[in-house]
Amino acid sequence: MENIIEVKNIKRYYKIAKEEKGFWASLKSLVNKKYEIKKAVDDISFEIKKGEITGFIGKNGAGKSTTIKMLSGILYPDSGTVKIDGYIPYKQRKQYVKNIGVVFGQKSQLHWDLPLIESFELMKYIYKIPKKVYEENLKKFVELLDMEDFINQPVRQLSLGQRMRGDIVAALLHSPKLVFLDEPTIGLDVVAKEKIREFIKYMNKNEQTTIIFTTHDMQDIEKVCERLIIIDQGKKVYDGTIAEIKNKYSNIKNIEVMYEDGSKEMKTFDINKIPMNQVMEKLFTEESIKDISICEPEIDGIIRDIYEGKIELNADTKGE
Amino acid sequence: MRTYVEFAIKKFQNKMAYRLEFFMGIVNTIITIVVYLCIYKALYEGKAEVDGISYAMTATSFVISLGLSNAFHFNEMFIQDKIHDGSITNEFLKPVNFVFRLLWENIGEGLFRVVFNFLPAVVFACFYTKLCAPYSMGNFIIMLISVALGYLVLWLLSLIIQVLSFWLFSVWGIMTIKNVIVNILSGVFLPLWFMPDIIKKIIVFTPFESIYFTPIRIYLGEVTGMEMLSKLSLQLMWIGILGGMAGVLWSKGVKKLVVQGG
Repeated sequence: MENIIEVKNIKRYYKIAKEEKGFWASLKSLVNKKYEIKKAVDDISFEIKKGEITGFIGKNGAGKSTTIKMLSGILYPDSGTVKIDGYIPYKQRKQYVKNIGVVFGQKSQLHWDLPLIESFELMKYIYKIPKKVYEENLKKFVELLDMEDFINQPVRQLSLGQRMRGDIVAALLHSPKLVFLDEPTIGLDVVAKEKIREFIKYMNKNEQTTIIFTTHDMQDIEKVCERLIIIDQGKKVYDGTIAEIKNKYSNIKNIEVMYEDGSKEMKTFDINKIPMNQVMEKLFTEESIKDISICEPEIDGIIRDIYEGKIELNADTKGE
Repeated sequence: MRTYVEFAIKKFQNKMAYRLEFFMGIVNTIITIVVYLCIYKALYEGKAEVDGISYAMTATSFVISLGLSNAFHFNEMFIQDKIHDGSITNEFLKPVNFVFRLLWENIGEGLFRVVFNFLPAVVFACFYTKLCAPYSMGNFIIMLISVALGYLVLWLLSLIIQVLSFWLFSVWGIMTIKNVIVNILSGVFLPLWFMPDIIKKIIVFTPFESIYFTPIRIYLGEVTGMEMLSKLSLQLMWIGILGGMAGVLWSKGVKKLVVQGG
């Protein structure tokens, strides 16, 4: 498959005014303002193939949103290039945005006071969607996301989960080739999350939609994405499949120990450093143990360790 | 074009969702009309004419400018709010021109006010006091065009100040000053006939005359024939000038946002 997204060495620095404390300092800053440079995105490159579904994760403030903004054409990179489906997004914005769909989980684009269906109607005019395509898509999406019950209700009366489904449909009605989902599951319950994940997978599989997905919920990533890009402090720290990252850390074992008195404790071992038989020997000789269970590391834990700097990602774990 | 009309329709529907606001709007407009007509009546002290202008003309002028200012009723802090919470960039993710979209949404909201607040209030005012009929059918039609142009002048003035929020933290103060100046110099509350001569001479060189006063004079027949066309072209000239200014500011603002990142 050919690449739909090619990102080469993009950088984006922000100048942030340095505010000093105290009256005199603020007077001084009127005349001589000092700035700090914050490297929001610092030399990131990657390629994404058509029909791929990529998870894009990182801590708050890691540079995800800035990257998404550059990819969606609403921010110029300071240097480097972005090429998506033959367009340079920030230069050919008006043409380019016809082919993409964007959902910001934190910001709704629906008309607050009108029934949900009215917002969808408006999309038909904004994107000049042919009537037949619009009706087909709408019928299909409403069915898949179980929206018949509330499609005629004003948006302000919808629950967060219902509203989010509405937002996702609104962004996909024009059958975009590429979709950015920025935290589409934020604040939702398990059932609503599952519905949205199923839908995203369906769109990817049946419509070959390329999807870029940011989230803080590792379940989302595990269940939906094939590929994972992790960003930290403006730099790409991991790019590869989910299975790969799990394999890499399969040497880390979590052992839940239950003592005679019923209390439980979680212990973590690296079996490359201490083989399992030694771990067991140590455990059983030193304590009086009722039961143990060994758990594979979960993606949650691995990602947390990467964020906290406990796991060093060396060159060979960076994929590619 | 169809897309933008659709924005106006949606905004119109949006406003209909609030029934209380809708009824209160009618009451509000009627009270305003009654209060101002009482003030004018008192100022006329029973005289038929002041400075050659009859009471009915003053009353008509007030009702028309009230209608126009009713139409011009929207959130003038919209762009500022969008810039503050950062959602302005999301507006660029749609293949629509944001400024035109804004114009049409505001028109939709304005039409709502005119149809549901202003027209009932005019019917009421007709029973309450005697208003002038339009000078002629031709004048009435030209007036409607002139009203649309006056609306655009007013809208562009607001847009220019709204767009300044790309550079200023708050434009609320400037907006308030602008509204006071517009209300006084364009003659919403005191028709321009009664202004001191020196101010009248200055106003001729400003866009304020083009907002309410030109349509009112056309309606009343103070301006007729070819002079109407020259008044309309003066309005068009102001739309050109203000539109040009707004356009330059807007594209600079967007550039600042997109290139420098806000």
